[in-house]
Amino acid sequence: MAFRKVCKFCERNVERLDYKDADTLGRLITDRGKILPRRATGTCARHQRQLGTAIKRARYLALIPYIQGYHS
Amino acid sequence: MRDYEVVYIFKSSLTTEEIEGRLEAYHGKILAAQGSEITAVEHWGKRQLAYPIDRNDNGYYVVTQFTASPGVLPDFERVLKLDDDLLRHLVVLSEGELPMPAMDERDRGDDRDRGDRPRGRDEVGKDAAAEAGDESSAAEDDASGDAADVDSGDDEAGDAAAEAGDESGADDSEDGESGADDKGEAEDIDADDGDDVDAKRED
Repeated sequence: MAFRKVCKFCERNVERLDYKDADTLGRLITDRGKILPRRATGTCARHQRQLGTAIKRARYLALIPYIQGYHS
Repeated sequence: MRDYEVVYIFKSSLTTEEIEGRLEAYHGKILAAQGSEITAVEHWGKRQLAYPIDRNDNGYYVVTQFTASPGVLPDFERVLKLDDDLLRHLVVLSEGELPMPAMDERDRGDDRDRGDRPRGRDEVGKDAAAEAGDESSAAEDDASGDAADVDSGDDEAGDAAAEAGDESGADDSEDGESGADDKGEAEDIDADDGDDVDAKRED
């Protein structure tokens, strides 16, 4: 696996991951809606923790699915 | 006093007046306590839900930020729970000013593409021009170094047409139709970054 030096949120100086930003979160889940692991995305520990919270909040608000394709 | 943020999802069958009326009633509960303040109200408008809630496929989103003492929350939330026309609500500690409305689908897509895609694209292009062999070896290094990886990288380096494809792919996944595109995007990112590192190594 290609070595990634910096987490992409650190690169952009993201202080807080926003659970309302469905677009960004949508790219950090699998095609079935699971949260992508750090080893797949290169996210740092700090941002991965925030990401988990953000994704779960976004799911509750139906911004992103719990399971992609389940209802269609 | 603390800063909170609350997201409401109303049934989209409600009229604007009905929604405004409800918001007023809710916010009245907050403002009833001294020192409370509503700092921002933002209407995202009608939006498709990622999954049906009580057989509703659409919801009207409103985001509000307010300052209040924690004591008013139980009273406030009780009112929210009793309202059958409120599909969902979420109260969280506020994390700063309202970000750009994540609403308008078209706007959002444009923003994102201008924001973070061009950088990766340029670097991939540069890299491919410099050394095609290097790129393919980088893809092989990748643990998930499958053919799709190499393809996506090449496409992007190739031309802007690939970018248009990317965009439509993103839209698809939003509609909840095609997960394959989603995955493709994620791998795009990976491929880019592999190249990133390469570029640095060459320097």
